[in-house]
Amino acid sequence: MSDDKEKLLDHLYDGIQELDNRLPAWWVGLFYLTIAWAVGYFYYYNIGSGPTLGQELREEQNQWALIQAKNPTAAGGGADEEAVLAAVIKDESRIKHGKEMFATKCLACHGPLGGGGIGPNLTDNFWIHGSKPTQIANIIRTGVNDKGMPPWGPLLKPEEVHSLVAFVKSLKGTNPPGAKAPQGNEEK
Amino acid sequence: MAEKQVNSQLEQFSYDDGIVRKFFFATVLWGAVAFLVGVIIALQMANWKFNFGLQWITFGRLRPLHTNAAIFAFAGNAVFAGIYYSSQRLLKARMFSDLLSCIHFWGWQLIIVSAALTLPFGITVGKEYAELEWPIDIGITVIWVVFAVNFFGTIFRRRERHIYVAIWFYIATIVTVAILHIVNSINLPVSIWKSYPIYAGVQDALVQWWYGHNAVAFFLTTPFLGLMYYFMPKAAGKPVYSYRLSIVHFWALVFLYIWAGPHHLLYTSLPDWAQTLGSVFSVVLIAPSWGGMINGLLTLRGAWHRVREEPVLKFFVAGVTFYGMSTFEGPMMSIKSVNLLAHYTDWIIAHVHGGALGWNGFMTFGMLYWLVPKLWKTKLYSTALANAHFWLGLFGIVLYMLSMWAAGITQGLMLRGLDPTGHLLYPDFVETVTKIAPLFWIRLIGGLMFFTGFLLMIYNLIKSISGAEAAEAVVHSEPRLSPAPAIGVKPGESPHRIIEGLPAIFTVLTVVAVLVASAMSLLPALLSEDLVEANPAFKPYSALELQGRDLYVREGCYLCHSQMIRPTHAETLRYGPASLSQESMYDHPFQWGSKRTGPDLARVGGKYPDLWHFRHMMDPREVVANSIMPTYPWLYSQKTDFGVLQKKLSVMKSIGVPYTAEEIEKAEPNAREQAKRIAEGLSASGVNVDIADKEIVALISYLQKLGRDYRNMTAAPGGAK
Ligand code: HEC
Ligand code: HEC
Repeated sequence: MSDDKEKLLDHLYDGIQELDNRLPAWWVGLFYLTIAWAVGYFYYYNIGSGPTLGQELREEQNQWALIQAKNPTAAGGGADEEAVLAAVIKDESRIKHGKEMFATKCLACHGPLGGGGIGPNLTDNFWIHGSKPTQIANIIRTGVNDKGMPPWGPLLKPEEVHSLVAFVKSLKGTNPPGAKAPQGNEEK
Repeated sequence: MAEKQVNSQLEQFSYDDGIVRKFFFATVLWGAVAFLVGVIIALQMANWKFNFGLQWITFGRLRPLHTNAAIFAFAGNAVFAGIYYSSQRLLKARMFSDLLSCIHFWGWQLIIVSAALTLPFGITVGKEYAELEWPIDIGITVIWVVFAVNFFGTIFRRRERHIYVAIWFYIATIVTVAILHIVNSINLPVSIWKSYPIYAGVQDALVQWWYGHNAVAFFLTTPFLGLMYYFMPKAAGKPVYSYRLSIVHFWALVFLYIWAGPHHLLYTSLPDWAQTLGSVFSVVLIAPSWGGMINGLLTLRGAWHRVREEPVLKFFVAGVTFYGMSTFEGPMMSIKSVNLLAHYTDWIIAHVHGGALGWNGFMTFGMLYWLVPKLWKTKLYSTALANAHFWLGLFGIVLYMLSMWAAGITQGLMLRGLDPTGHLLYPDFVETVTKIAPLFWIRLIGGLMFFTGFLLMIYNLIKSISGAEAAEAVVHSEPRLSPAPAIGVKPGESPHRIIEGLPAIFTVLTVVAVLVASAMSLLPALLSEDLVEANPAFKPYSALELQGRDLYVREGCYLCHSQMIRPTHAETLRYGPASLSQESMYDHPFQWGSKRTGPDLARVGGKYPDLWHFRHMMDPREVVANSIMPTYPWLYSQKTDFGVLQKKLSVMKSIGVPYTAEEIEKAEPNAREQAKRIAEGLSASGVNVDIADKEIVALISYLQKLGRDYRNMTAAPGGAK
């Protein structure tokens, strides 16, 4: 737009003048466009067929449930877990893997060597929830509400839980210094 | 016309620039404080050791000091300086009362000082940007009314028939800030330095973010647009691009801004439709916001060569451009899929600083440089230094924003990352923090650059002013306005011209626009039946837990932790099922939080044993290697105030928390009993100090309560829905 076409208004405020240029067409267009979008968006989600937040969540969870159903080991605790674990607990590399994870996730409560602290001693023959590999895997996955053992199932992959079981099983009889007094029932 | 002759005698008057000089100095002084504290907390984020284990300067207490200083002290004083300077000239009248100007100035500084003296002591309401306790809130109200009387009095005595667009924006600012502040600060006192908001949970969240969002709108946007409309055409010597655009974007902003608050509450337990409303109004705000940017930038047509030479214009151009960027980014972040990634992360911090440093900071700096030769008989000492300030500031902001965008997006993606079997890729929260820690250092460098530029400005201003006399007040003579309002417009003039000549009507219309929009956006949600369905499973806090909660508020834990699990798969895996509105129905104030530097705590109760928290709060790294959370050693020596509990419970009861008379009566013995049980449990697990009466025990009892009722409800037979 050239200056001479512009209309200078007779407004004068402390030396400030005002032109009366028309609203830029693209600006008006943008304004209308956003309004139209807003109406459509609100209609879709709150009046029309759009999903609510709750429905979106259920949909997402169902999808993952389907994926995990197709691949039973994804969730952990499949029927063959006993056999899988029997192999894993003998696998040195898995024990090492478990040891690494233990140092970042479990050490705070079970002590650096598994001798216990906030949580029970994992090196003795006494177990609150059972000493079978599947029992240990389950307790790691579900945790113990209100006793302060967090559930790791949602956070860890099944293989990771298995490696932890392997490491925990490898601790038996190591009897580290300062280990906590036994808790639970004696098991051989 | 007959009136003309009657009023043709000239009146003599001069402008009060002394008050402008006062606000000028205050802006510079508090700017230095705000930026310095900002640099300190940036350092604390980069390395927790800089919390020094001292309660008065721990992150959670300094962050409110930083935000309050930046908004109310730095930007506030800048706005007042600009309004006092420009209004007098635009209205051709001295301020209504020099005494009121003086009370306004000193009153406001007193409020700032009292904020600076209370926040480090943990005296806070616990709502962002509304932290100040009730006596200070009352002070703010009084001083704001003084300001309003002074301002509207000046309008009343004006010698210019019509009010210019800058004045429109000032009017909108003054009336709306008053409404926002009063409605959001209705708190019931427990003592002189402690009060509880009358709203709880979802309602508190809704009111708070209606306030929070519109404080940004009417404290950091509309007044600065007003300043832009005065100082930019003055500095450029060019006419404003479009009067019509001013009209359209002004009214659109005033009416539409109010609705957008719930975009701070997407994916929370606020009803879906209220959330959607917040999203769509945010997007509709793009054009009205850009109207201001266009009008500012296009005013410079034909003056662009001067932008190269003139630091004042450089600051204005960059400031307005940052405004345009922020007002586009904001609406994008209000779209729920973007929000899901951005919310709770450093992306929000990047967004805020684009606005605060870029728009508010640069507009203020431009204004200060421009004002120096007007307020004093002097020239700016060094243009080169001002240019250096500009470039340092600009690169500082860019570095700040790039690093925080990167940090926010990285952490957001890591937190939601799932592997192909549906498990979290990064189950340890702290992994995501260690990943972005280097970016905190880069942010610090950006902040330091901005601060250095600011120090250059101070030096430049001191050099310019020292030895210079204050500019002499010029005596003007102008005819008095005829008392009869001039209704009617000249042919071809916009009908809007009529209300420009009737400021009282103009003000009423502004108030109506703001009130109607507020009522329509707040009331349906507040009154809605499905907002919070009462459920007996959710119980109020015990006396000790309430005391612990007040400690949580005092230490500003909510500035790093949220208490709102959003309804997404990744989040339910990490924290548990999505939060319900009932879970916070007794929370005065709500503590949903707005930033997750640490994990969500809505369901942390029962996750760890008391001993874990006992060790974690003493030094988080004892239990979580690489944690960046500060230490809280003073909680282990300071005694819990049991005596105040009865009063606290009875205040809570009067704002709707169903405590029984007995619970109130026995608040103190009950709390001591609960504390004793926790302490015994701790000593059984090896803590051999007597800690039952120490604050840490109260805090632990609160942390263990979080999510407990939800767990009990779902564990009870037939409890889960
Ligand atoms: C926050 C502290 C904490 C953390 C972290 C923690 N545990 Fe535990 N753990 C406990 C507590 C407490 C118990 C005892 C629960 C009970 O009393 O029923 C426990 C119990 C156990 C048990 C059962 C012991 C028994 O006697 O039956 C196993 C196995 C175990 N934890 C493994 C782990 C592993 C592996 C990790 C790391 C992935 C881990 N824990 C992390 C606190 C913790
Ligand atoms: C500077 C930010 C910051 C502040 C302030 C802060 N935290 Fe944290 N918090 C963190 C970070 C980071 C973590 C994750 C690492 C860890 O567990 O220490 C965390 C973890 C936690 C956890 C463990 C959560 C879980 O699920 O593992 C609790 C509980 C906690 N904080 C409580 C508090 C309390 C109470 C306060 C106030 C007294 C507070 N925090 C203040 C950053 C902070």
